[in-house]
Amino acid sequence: MATAAIDLKNIQQGRSLWQDAMSRLKQNHLAVFGLGVVIFLILIAIFADLIAPYSYEEQNLALGASPPSADHWLGTDTLGRDLFTRILYGSRISLMVGILATTVALTIGVTWGTISGYLGGRVDMVMMRIVDILYALPFTIFIILLMVVFGRNIYLLFFAIGAVEWLTMARIVRSQVMSIRNQEYIDAVISMGLPRWRIITRHVLPNILGPVIVYTTLTIPGVILLESFLSFLGLGIQPPMSSWGSLISNGVETMEEYPWLLIFPALTLSVTLFSLNFLGDGLRDAIDPRSAKD
Amino acid sequence: MFRFVLVRLLQAIPVLLIVISITFMLVRAAPGGPFDSEKNAPPEVIQKLNERYHLNDSLITQLSDYISNALQGDLGPSFRYPGRSVTEIIFTGLPVTLELGLYATCFAIVIGLLTGLIASYRPNSWQDYSAMTFAMTGICLPSFVLGPLLILIFSIWLEWLPVSGWNQFNGDKILPSITLGAAYAAYISRLTRGGMLEILSQDFIRTARAKGLSETRVILKHGLKGGLLPVVTFLGPAFAGLLSGSFIIETIFQIPGIGRLYVQAAFNRDYTMIMGTTIFFATLIVVFNLISDIIAAMLNPRITYKGKN
Repeated sequence: MATAAIDLKNIQQGRSLWQDAMSRLKQNHLAVFGLGVVIFLILIAIFADLIAPYSYEEQNLALGASPPSADHWLGTDTLGRDLFTRILYGSRISLMVGILATTVALTIGVTWGTISGYLGGRVDMVMMRIVDILYALPFTIFIILLMVVFGRNIYLLFFAIGAVEWLTMARIVRSQVMSIRNQEYIDAVISMGLPRWRIITRHVLPNILGPVIVYTTLTIPGVILLESFLSFLGLGIQPPMSSWGSLISNGVETMEEYPWLLIFPALTLSVTLFSLNFLGDGLRDAIDPRSAKD
Repeated sequence: MFRFVLVRLLQAIPVLLIVISITFMLVRAAPGGPFDSEKNAPPEVIQKLNERYHLNDSLITQLSDYISNALQGDLGPSFRYPGRSVTEIIFTGLPVTLELGLYATCFAIVIGLLTGLIASYRPNSWQDYSAMTFAMTGICLPSFVLGPLLILIFSIWLEWLPVSGWNQFNGDKILPSITLGAAYAAYISRLTRGGMLEILSQDFIRTARAKGLSETRVILKHGLKGGLLPVVTFLGPAFAGLLSGSFIIETIFQIPGIGRLYVQAAFNRDYTMIMGTTIFFATLIVVFNLISDIIAAMLNPRITYKGKN
């Protein structure tokens, strides 16, 4: 009798899907590490003005490039600018790209995928053919083309990157929406006469949140990488602004004499990408335990 | 099978037409004409230049002219290198880029398959974990970080290999090929592991083992064919990545391939060159996707030939 009572108590407390996912995530040390790094990065990006020991453009030509020291923790570049400060401000650009471009991708991808998956039929076929065709386009090249044609505007860059990354999101959302669309409770709410957009926002979208969150976390590092790639080529962020990509590119030019100018920005970028990927993988395993790795 | 190939070929045509049109329109939408930098040129000269390059025709005429010329392999004259055609410039850079891509692909396949097979043979062993850590590093480390780091270590500190160049010094092809191939080696490794683990748990593998076949034979003959399917489907899109990867690698190592030509054209605003290379890249990518789809269909009889993904 006693055990039955305890069981009943446990059942009453219950555990939601999200609590379950959280506890699984906490067991994944790499993912927790990734989460920690990401939170740390967001904080230093927000408070860059307060943390930075020097001003962003402050030059000290007399000092020139100096190795890491007590005054300049990560050394200075050839113009005597503090590298730590510049990496700090670079994190703003990288995270801004990561968030804004991913938001663009998320908005287009979820809208497209939901409409396509929910309506089905001919609409679905046309919309997915369009995605197929876009998939075949060499997008990195198009972004470079856009940057050349319309000048190197960072908001255009954000938008262009986001406009490229929505395709996979649209496919994932579509397949999820389709499987939910065919479930009986959707037939039930349709027969109750709920308007279509209410069904979608109230009964469909909340149920695909898991995969969307997972894929979003996995999109962010891709987006950050793309921005760094363009900035490295000199086609992204323009001086005097700096992003991690442009810092690495400057570091490469002088790596023979001043290797720290390459090593620290490279390290920052790599650790960030590692952390975001670990977090994304961890979330995927936590939210959808059935999905195998690859 | 023939029908499948035909359908895929027909799908490729609208893709290429769209690529050409978008590229053309984008470049035309660019502020400023191509001859704006010719300072103090008399209007008559500009007029002559515009006539010479048919810039006074209507946009539609220009586009259809461009498409029909492009189909015949003529991508127009380069704005920056007078007297040389874009096609000619592309074909001087192409062999270099293809050679680089070939070495990188070989490196990626050999290393990727090896590590993937080792990892899948003993899942959750230390071999598995170290192979997968290697793979994760390869995926997360961008080529523009890996390349300079390799140069720093092997060329500047150890002085084993040359810093840059292509076909100029002994061993100058090693670092660029490794840098370009590393990320793909990592993906192939993960895909091989995943694919093999799935196949090795299937019934026909158990049957093969029950027949008393040697473990090598089971894995290499029965497992590999199905297990490699994800790898083959990955190779087509990977080729697209190899091309855009070549932008970075060729810039870092100063290799005279089309990747560097493209980046230079982007800096010089050499519009015809940019259009030409974009279209050329797109064609290559579409062709390679097509090839990898066909190979995947041949390897896996369960993929229907109706053009479904």
